[in-house]
Amino acid sequence: MILAQVVASGLLLGAVYALFSSGLTLIWGMMNVVNFAHGDFVMLAMYVAFFAWTLGHAGPAMSLPLAAIGLFGLGALVYFALIRHVMRGPMLAQILSTFGLALLLRYAAFWAFSANFVTLPGDLVGPTLDIGGLRLQSSRLLAGGVAILLTIGMHLMLTRTMLGSRMLAVAEDRSAATLVGIRPDRMQALAWGLGGASTGIAGALIALFYYISPTVGEALTLIAFVVVCLGGFGSVPGALLAGLLIGVTEALSAYWLGPVYQDVVVYGLFLVVLWVRPQGLLGTA
Amino acid sequence: MRRAPIAALLLLAAASIVWPMLVDNVFYQRVGALVLLAAISASAWNLIGGYAGQVSIGHAIFFGAGAYSSLLCFTDFGWPPIAGAPVGVAVSLLLAFLIGTPTFRLRGHYFSMATIAAAELVRILVTTIKPLGGGVGLMGPATPRSVADLSFRSPLPYYYIFLGVLAVLLGLTWAMERSRLGYYLRAVSGGERAAQSLGVGVLPTKLAALLLSAAFTAIAGSLYAVMVGFADPNSVLGILVSVKMVIMAALGGAGTLFGPLLGAVILVPLEEWTNDVFGGSGTGITYVIYGAIILLIARFQPGGLLAIWYRRQARRAA
Amino acid sequence: MVEAPMLAARGVVQAFGRLRAVDGADLDVASGEIVGLIGPNGAGKSTFFNALAGDRIPTAGQICFEGRDITRLRPASHARLGIARTFQVPVTFEDMTVAENVLVGAFLRHPRRVDAARAAAEVLAFTGLDAFARAPARRLGTPGRKRLEIARALATAPRLLLLDEALAGLNPAEVQAAIGLLRRIHARGIALVIVEHIMEVILTLADRAVVFHQGRVIAAGPPREVVEDPGVVAAYLGRSLSRRRAG
Repeated sequence: MILAQVVASGLLLGAVYALFSSGLTLIWGMMNVVNFAHGDFVMLAMYVAFFAWTLGHAGPAMSLPLAAIGLFGLGALVYFALIRHVMRGPMLAQILSTFGLALLLRYAAFWAFSANFVTLPGDLVGPTLDIGGLRLQSSRLLAGGVAILLTIGMHLMLTRTMLGSRMLAVAEDRSAATLVGIRPDRMQALAWGLGGASTGIAGALIALFYYISPTVGEALTLIAFVVVCLGGFGSVPGALLAGLLIGVTEALSAYWLGPVYQDVVVYGLFLVVLWVRPQGLLGTA
Repeated sequence: MRRAPIAALLLLAAASIVWPMLVDNVFYQRVGALVLLAAISASAWNLIGGYAGQVSIGHAIFFGAGAYSSLLCFTDFGWPPIAGAPVGVAVSLLLAFLIGTPTFRLRGHYFSMATIAAAELVRILVTTIKPLGGGVGLMGPATPRSVADLSFRSPLPYYYIFLGVLAVLLGLTWAMERSRLGYYLRAVSGGERAAQSLGVGVLPTKLAALLLSAAFTAIAGSLYAVMVGFADPNSVLGILVSVKMVIMAALGGAGTLFGPLLGAVILVPLEEWTNDVFGGSGTGITYVIYGAIILLIARFQPGGLLAIWYRRQARRAA
Repeated sequence: MVEAPMLAARGVVQAFGRLRAVDGADLDVASGEIVGLIGPNGAGKSTFFNALAGDRIPTAGQICFEGRDITRLRPASHARLGIARTFQVPVTFEDMTVAENVLVGAFLRHPRRVDAARAAAEVLAFTGLDAFARAPARRLGTPGRKRLEIARALATAPRLLLLDEALAGLNPAEVQAAIGLLRRIHARGIALVIVEHIMEVILTLADRAVVFHQGRVIAAGPPREVVEDPGVVAAYLGRSLSRRRAG
């Protein structure tokens, strides 16, 4: 059944969308800052995975932790060097800071790697499996599975652990959190680190079956925006739900209308959601 | 005390009128015309991005609407391209309404995200629609049929047309700054809740700025189509078109009258020069530099160069 | 003949999930009256105040102003109808001068700049801020900011002014000056609803005091009577209210 195949494929990619988008929604919810370079973080992680393989013959077992740690560090660095200073200022400064960073990363990569795209071997993780009549690449299955687990994990961390409560407290009321001994600065840096790590893992996962190019961040950032708005401001479960939805929508659009139109549908859906239900699926009105 | 700025203004106006004739070099005149065209777009962006504080990174959608409307009116109806400018304005106003109305009630990020998405959406759509030129684009008149086609060999007429349009736009902006709309925009930027408590309608105020901004950006797009005689999705609807408008306004000083012009005067010649030296934007180095400039402005001096200048003036007066 | 009150709130309820911050509150404000809203912290008076100002639509109940139902109207409409307010933490427009802040308010009734500037100048003189007209708002200290908030609200030519702890954080001399200003505002026929913790203000200024406790009005009447009411005293945990700051 081709249709079931398309849907399954879309769900698996959508799970990865959910993973890096939940990092974005965490940052947004915690300090009302949107990372316009989020997709470019994913792009960097994709190249980490690529070079891990081509230079070190290392598969996802190495590249996932490597990218996670690297992008965690980048996220925290960006927070300390940039975000902390523009957070309380005018909106123009906030938005332009991460947007400028996005351009910088994107075109530095473009200059370093040229416009050509590269890919990792399709069977790096394993062969294409036949599950219940559906032919699915092992790489996609791994990506989707890991992504869902980690997104759920992030939600559990936020809602069930002490650390998570501290982060949510800062998101809720920064000054009140200080009064009970929480250090907002640390929690916010941690949020950026986690956001970065989510892009790191997502990027290393996508690299297994997607094309890797310097400008891929542009579309991925937009996808993250759509997922976060559709899911609801600051909601990780919302991002999970929305990510899966967007993945399926994208896949079905490509199948029915052609690959050129898949972005048109997703962006169009975004604008419709803004008109009809801006709080998203799981946000409060 | 007000005389000094007026004298400086008159000097600036006189210089800009006389300069191209003195310079008498086609290349420089052409760069001058491009500077003015860029200044028109950036000053139009400034209305919503600078004065209203709503950061659009998808303004190419309005620029492209202007350019495409002009060229379509030529290819489909045989009109002189400039006659298509009002159509471009009308389309832009509609698009502005569709983008602004849902997002202006929400946090500022939603508007910014929506502008990027809308511009990309339109760019991809135009690429796929053959009657709009598809990926190849549209062309203007190959040979001028009358003066109305505004097809000149020399850059000089374009320079003066653009100068006139820029003067009108800046004059309108100056009047707006001093009007109720101007103060309401600053109030909305300064604190929406407080502004509302004083009777300021946040949505109508932001929309007014966006509609004005969209209209003039569309006019800039039409002027571009008239001068260059060609438009395709990447050259008029691509994200880099939007980025240039933003960076010029931000570098010079977003929310100031002459900031965008200053930014254009600095960046347009700079881009021409780097394209020569580094071999075109194909290498991406230009945009690395743009990204770095935007980042530095945002981090250290969101008010742009004019803010540094005004602060110096204030310190001297104190 | 009993004149209809200028502002009439009936059965106002403001619930946040299961928590009822305001649990059925009534309030009448007659034209030109000064009403003080008092009560312990967390009693619901600020939440009720915000409902009056249009910040939040009440969960239940009705609020009428000059015969018009304003329950579901938003703050901008309130201002146009003649209700102005100040904020507990002043939110002056930092990037504008004092005069420009007031000008924003004046534009509501005067679309043309010339007229608005004249109205703003009048308000600046009336509130004693004309000496600071050209100063950037961010340079003002707390007393100046609070005064600017009042001036800005006055520029909208309200008939009812809602003041949210407009005198908090002021030293005794500043409090006296502020009381003087409020008296002059009242002399112009503007009704005032004042949320305050400083009892002296209520005792000297208010025609009526309304006491909130646990989301309800537990007493209303002349301030001197209300502060001696045993129920009110109990609500403040046994402390006498006259001549002392509460809470």
